[in-house]
Amino acid sequence: MKDFHELVVAAVREEIPGVARTVVFDVPVALRATFGWQAGQHVTLRFRIGGEEVRRSYSISSSADAGDPLRITVKRVEGGLVSNHVNDSIEPGARVDVMAPFGGFVLEPEPRGRRTCYLIGAGSGITPLYAMLRTILVAEPWSAVHLLYGNRNADSILFLGELSRLEEAYRNRLTVRHVLSRPEWGSPCWRKGRIDAEAIEAWIAENPPYAQDAQYFVCGPGEMNRTVISALTSIDVPTRRIHMESYGGSTDVEDTVAGVAAVAEIVLGGRRTDVPVAADQTLLAAARAAGMEPPFSCEAGVCGACRAELVKGTVHMRSKAALTDDDLADGSVLTCQSVATSARVGVRYCP
Amino acid sequence: MPKRMLHRLPVEAYTELDWFEREQEAIFSRTWSYAGFAEDVSEPGAYVSLRAGLNEIFVVMGRDRRLRAFHNICRHRGTRLLRAVGNAQKAITCPYHDWTYDLEGHLVSVPAEQREFGEVDKSCLGLKPASVDLWRGMLFVHPSPDAGSIMEWFGEIEPHLGPHDVDELVEYPDGRASYEIKANWKIVVENYIDVYHLAHLHSGTLAMYDHARAEYGFVGPHYAFWEPLSADYAADIERNAPMPLILPPGQLGAWVPMLFPGIGLAESETSWSTYTITPLAPDLTRVENRTRVKNASDWAFGRQAWRSAGFWKGAITAKYDAGEDGDPLTSGDFTAEDVLACERQQQALRSPYFEVGPASRGEGPVLEHQEVVLRYLEGRT
Ligand code: FES
Ligand code: FES
Ligand SMILES: [Fe+2]
Repeated sequence: MKDFHELVVAAVREEIPGVARTVVFDVPVALRATFGWQAGQHVTLRFRIGGEEVRRSYSISSSADAGDPLRITVKRVEGGLVSNHVNDSIEPGARVDVMAPFGGFVLEPEPRGRRTCYLIGAGSGITPLYAMLRTILVAEPWSAVHLLYGNRNADSILFLGELSRLEEAYRNRLTVRHVLSRPEWGSPCWRKGRIDAEAIEAWIAENPPYAQDAQYFVCGPGEMNRTVISALTSIDVPTRRIHMESYGGSTDVEDTVAGVAAVAEIVLGGRRTDVPVAADQTLLAAARAAGMEPPFSCEAGVCGACRAELVKGTVHMRSKAALTDDDLADGSVLTCQSVATSARVGVRYCP
Repeated sequence: MPKRMLHRLPVEAYTELDWFEREQEAIFSRTWSYAGFAEDVSEPGAYVSLRAGLNEIFVVMGRDRRLRAFHNICRHRGTRLLRAVGNAQKAITCPYHDWTYDLEGHLVSVPAEQREFGEVDKSCLGLKPASVDLWRGMLFVHPSPDAGSIMEWFGEIEPHLGPHDVDELVEYPDGRASYEIKANWKIVVENYIDVYHLAHLHSGTLAMYDHARAEYGFVGPHYAFWEPLSADYAADIERNAPMPLILPPGQLGAWVPMLFPGIGLAESETSWSTYTITPLAPDLTRVENRTRVKNASDWAFGRQAWRSAGFWKGAITAKYDAGEDGDPLTSGDFTAEDVLACERQQQALRSPYFEVGPASRGEGPVLEHQEVVLRYLEGRT
């Protein structure tokens, strides 16, 4: 497990007054290597609020490839403990415990490459995408970026000013299209409504890839992600070109609940295998240790690849970012995040 | 008897099948090939097929509007799948035994699979991928799926090309031509990059440029060339230009690069053209031209032609005044002049008495192109 390091807040900026705030950290020279990051990664912050220790992960909203300082951008979540704390109480000079950046949703720059990167996000999902956008523009001189960004109205658009400045500065390489569900008069609105299959198709038809190495980066709430993925795959975008992360404001990580040693009945590809699970082992890890090949990708609870149906017993999920409430009600679990809490559990991977 | 040379290359390089085949393998099968204009494949399902050196390749657009390139050979027994141009909405079926592939190249169906084969592992019988990309309004393919980005190939030469926004220009259908020259492809390239001949062979046909002030040279395997307008043409360019201008007044001139291998461009103040060279045999070469011009109305073109008519009446003359009917040197057409020069040179290579004289400064690029060819044949790239 990586350690926390105390970082000093170098600056804060009201991104959207009263709604979202950007916090810039000062990374001392001795920690520069530890705190190097790839566009798209996040950091975990640890706070003590009201005597409780809480952790939250936030995407880094800046690009190391572009020489930006480390920063996160946090939007208030209604009733959210940490997001409101950050917006209310973090001031320059504050000391915050931060874990080194991590995460598999990354855009690795290819300086000699030439790609068309389609970035699709909604709400706070812009934060890792914004870092990626900066990276491409600065570190891939031959690549182009198209951003499709969904919000409620113009007032809830993060980085609105920065985005239009970049669009101006990189006219031949960047397009930004806003989709607003409740646009007001005069909003910078390309399309009214939500990011759905029709919007995706219209957007790609309007911005077909010039550089043919097209890559798709998707980051929004689980529901938008699923809509986007199915829209993309229905027009034959190969899945290896799609990269995604779920983003519901912040990712809640709950790793205080201990699991119990158990036996898991795992159905994969129609075949059932009984697998021993250690107390601190996830079902995914147990299945793989037993030689099975279940699907998985991020191992961080954000992509949903390892999803299965819980058919017996109970589990605790450390994170469930990739699942909607409906999924949870249907008994879906993320096996990469699930530890057993009953002596026998059963899961079935969807065929 | 000393080996007969055409400067850096032996004469056989221009006459023998063995050289031709080695070039097909070492040059034309290992570099990016021109495959047409971007708009040739601009709707989902549209495709083109072409030969790239020893390879048969097709390019098709998927519903995601991304181009895919595959080797145009069925994985069953190799039959060519697609011909020329057309539209394949969702699937590609081999005419021989009806094996069917989707637009990702996956083999999706084998007729009578159970009865004929028991079972076929379709997952390892997908079409072999190639690379495809768009650059400067043109389609390019490379036989290898791991060709790298096309900018690794063209990135260094790009700053030496014209400031044209090629994608903003539109094709001028009358500018399309395809013809054969009875000469080796290298002779055709050498003619294109021979700066010395401009003021002589084309003394009457290309006088609107100032050849004495030309700047040129190689960048990697590619050749760049630029020359300014001649003073009297430039003096009243708004009036003298035969078609609407496509460059701002401060950036006029002609950029005439020869990208390797055999992809010539002619980027001028009023038009943007391709001159693509395909070897057909040691002594036979196909040249294809396509042209883009300003996206303007017929009226705008007509008006400009009318305004400039007076200037052009005196500006274009034939090299020689009189001659037989159809003599290229009395035609006033610089392409015809070039074809004639290439073919007459090729014919001479057969003579036992053939021997070249010194190369001029303006023929420096000819020697350098020969070096590039040698480098590829010897694997020094
Ligand atoms: S592997 Fe991504 S959510 Fe489990
Ligand atoms: S050769 Fe294509 S199906 Fe037999
Ligand atoms: Fe010529």
